[in-house]
Amino acid sequence: MSIMEYNGGSVIAMVGKDCVAIASDLRLGNQALSISSNFQKIFPVTDRIYLGLPGLATDVTTLRERFRYRVNMYTIKEEREIEPETFAHLVSSTLYEHRFGQYFIEPVIAGLSKTPSGGVKPFIAATDIIGCLNFAKDFVVAGTASSKLFGVAEGLWEPDLEPEDLFETISQSLLNAVDRDAFSGWGAIVHVITKDKVTTRTLKGRMD
Amino acid sequence: METSFALTGKGYVIVAADTTAARSIVKMKVDEDKIKELSSHLLMAYSGEPGDTVQFAEYVERNIRLYQIRNLYPLRPSAAASWVRRSLAESLRSRNSYTVSLLLGGYDLATHTPNLYWIDYLGTSVEVPFAAHGYGSYFALSLLDRYHDPEASLEEGLATLKRCIDEVSKRLVVSPGKYKVKIVDKDGVREVEL
Amino acid sequence: MASADGGAYSYSLTVFSPSGKLVQIEHALAAVSQGTTSLGIKASNGIVIATEKKSSSILIDDSMIEKVAVVCPNIGIVYSGMGPDFRVLIARARKSAQAYWKMYGEYPPARVLTQEIATVMQQATQSGGVRPYGVSLLVAGWDSHRGPSLFQVDPSGSFWAWKASAIGKNMVNAKTFLEKRYNDDISLEDAIHTALLTLKEGFEGQMTEKTIEIGVVTVPTLEELEAGKIGGETGRPKPTFRKLSEEEVRDYLAL
Repeated sequence: MSIMEYNGGSVIAMVGKDCVAIASDLRLGNQALSISSNFQKIFPVTDRIYLGLPGLATDVTTLRERFRYRVNMYTIKEEREIEPETFAHLVSSTLYEHRFGQYFIEPVIAGLSKTPSGGVKPFIAATDIIGCLNFAKDFVVAGTASSKLFGVAEGLWEPDLEPEDLFETISQSLLNAVDRDAFSGWGAIVHVITKDKVTTRTLKGRMD
Repeated sequence: METSFALTGKGYVIVAADTTAARSIVKMKVDEDKIKELSSHLLMAYSGEPGDTVQFAEYVERNIRLYQIRNLYPLRPSAAASWVRRSLAESLRSRNSYTVSLLLGGYDLATHTPNLYWIDYLGTSVEVPFAAHGYGSYFALSLLDRYHDPEASLEEGLATLKRCIDEVSKRLVVSPGKYKVKIVDKDGVREVEL
Repeated sequence: MASADGGAYSYSLTVFSPSGKLVQIEHALAAVSQGTTSLGIKASNGIVIATEKKSSSILIDDSMIEKVAVVCPNIGIVYSGMGPDFRVLIARARKSAQAYWKMYGEYPPARVLTQEIATVMQQATQSGGVRPYGVSLLVAGWDSHRGPSLFQVDPSGSFWAWKASAIGKNMVNAKTFLEKRYNDDISLEDAIHTALLTLKEGFEGQMTEKTIEIGVVTVPTLEELEAGKIGGETGRPKPTFRKLSEEEVRDYLAL
C-alpha cells in the first residue's frame, strides 16, 4: 500500500495560446472504497492562479489552508497579488521545509503571469512531494493516474490551442486517463484561465 | 465490529452507531452511547481505537462548549468540522496520535441546511450526503447509493437507515446487535428508537 | 527629576517621560545629526544616493570605509550616524534579502526590505537591555511592482517614502537646497549632479572621489525586462543598484 495512492486522485495542467487550463477528478477514496464524488483538489490562489493538490487527502486540506494563509500574508505585506513564478517558489519552499516529514502531495500550478509590456504569459509548473520544481512548456501531470495522463496528453496536446480547444483537449486527456485508473475518476472539474476570465466546468465521467 | 452510519434528508441528518463496546473478541458492554451531542444542533458519532475515542470525543465536546461560552453563539457545523479536522491532522504528525473515525452531523441555523462530514483519523474531512465508517460501510454505502434521497422525509430516511442496518446484520460475520439512532434538525438533537 | 536633559528618563531603558517623549530616541536622533550628511534623490529613470566620507585622520586607509552598501542586486542603503550600528543593520538586511530570495526565488521590493529593517529598529526601542540604533538610513531600490523607490528610516523605526531627502549634520540646509532644485522629471544624470551640488553646500575640505560615495538605481528598459529576469551567463538577475567606481565619481566631479 502506497500512501500516495491511499485516497486516489489526479491533476493535469496544460498551456494554450494566452491561456492555461487545469483539471482534476473528484474522487475521494479509502483505498478501493469510494467515499465522496465531490472532493475538490484544485483551489484558486488569485484571480489568475490555480493550484492543484493531488495526494493524501488530509494534506490536501492542510496545504490548501497553509497556502491560503501564506498568500494572504504576502498580499497584505507586499500590497500586490502574487505572481505565478513567485507562488511556485513559495510552494517549493513550503514543501521543502518539510523535507524530513513530508506532506504527501504533488502540487500542480497553473496561472497567467504579467509581462512587463502589460500582456499575459501562460505559466504551469509541478513539484514532487519535497518541492523540486518542474517548469514545463506544454503540460504537467500528477496523481495516481499520472502515468496514463502522460500518455494521453502526449498524444492530444498541441501548441497554441485557443481556450475552447484547450478545454476539449484537457478534458479528454483527463477523462480517458482516469478511466484506466482505479483510484481516480467519479467526475471531473476543469478550469480554463484566460486574460479576463476563468471558466469552470464540472464534468460527469464514468461514475463507476 | 464497530459500525456507524449517517445520512442527510430534507432538513435533517440521521446519525446511527452501534452500541457494543468490545475488547478483543469479547463484548464488554451492549448499551454504549457512541454519539456525542456536541451542541444544540450538532452530533458526532465516534469509533476507533478504544481509549482514544472517548478521550478525543470529550476533548472535542469541551472545546466546542468553550467556544460557545466565550462567544455566546455556537460554532456552525462547517466550522466545527474544520476545527475537528485540524485537531486530528495535527495529532497525526505528533508523537502520539488519536486513531478515531468520526461522522459529524449538524443543522446549520444560518443557512437552514443539514450538513454531514465524514472524517477519518488522518484528518481527511469531506462533506457528503451520506457516510459510514467500519466494516458496515462496505455494505451500507452501496445501499445508500441506490436508496438515498436528499429530499426524503424523516420516515423515508429512517427506512433507508433500517435497510442499511438490516443488510449489515444479514451479511456481516461480526455484525453488531444494537444501534443508537440520533437525529438533528431545526429543532435540535434528539434520540429515536428504530 | 524632569531636568532639561531628560533627567531620570534619559538612561538605559526607553521609557516614556511624563510629557510623552522617548528621550532615548531623541538622543539617537542627535547622534544621527552629528553624523556626516547623506542624501538621496529620485529621478525619472533612477535614483541616486550619496554621502560624504570623511576620516578623522589622514593616516586612516579610507579605501576600506564603505558607507553606501549593496544589500541585494536591486537595493542599496546609505546612512548617517554611527558606523557600527549601520554595519549590524546591513548584515540583518542582507540576511533578510537572502531569506526572501530562498522563499520566493526573487529579491524583495524596497518597500518590504525597508519595513523589515524598520521593524528591527523599532524593536530596539521596546526591548530590554538594548539602546536604539544611532542611525538614519536612506534605502534606494527598484522592483517590478513599484518601480524605483526611496525610503528613509529613523531610529524610532518610522519610515517614509521620499522624492528627495537628506539626513545627518547638514540635513536642514541640504533639504532646503533640494526643495529648490527638485522637479519631477529630473534625469538620473541631473540628479547625480544635484546630489553633488547639495553635498558641496557645507562640505568641509576637498570633494574628491576619495571623500564621496555614490550609489545609483538604474531603471531597466522595457527591452531589458522583456529579455528576461535572468541574466545570461551568471543565471543571476541583472543588478539595478550599483555603486559608482572612483573613476566614475571623479568624472562626475570634474563636470
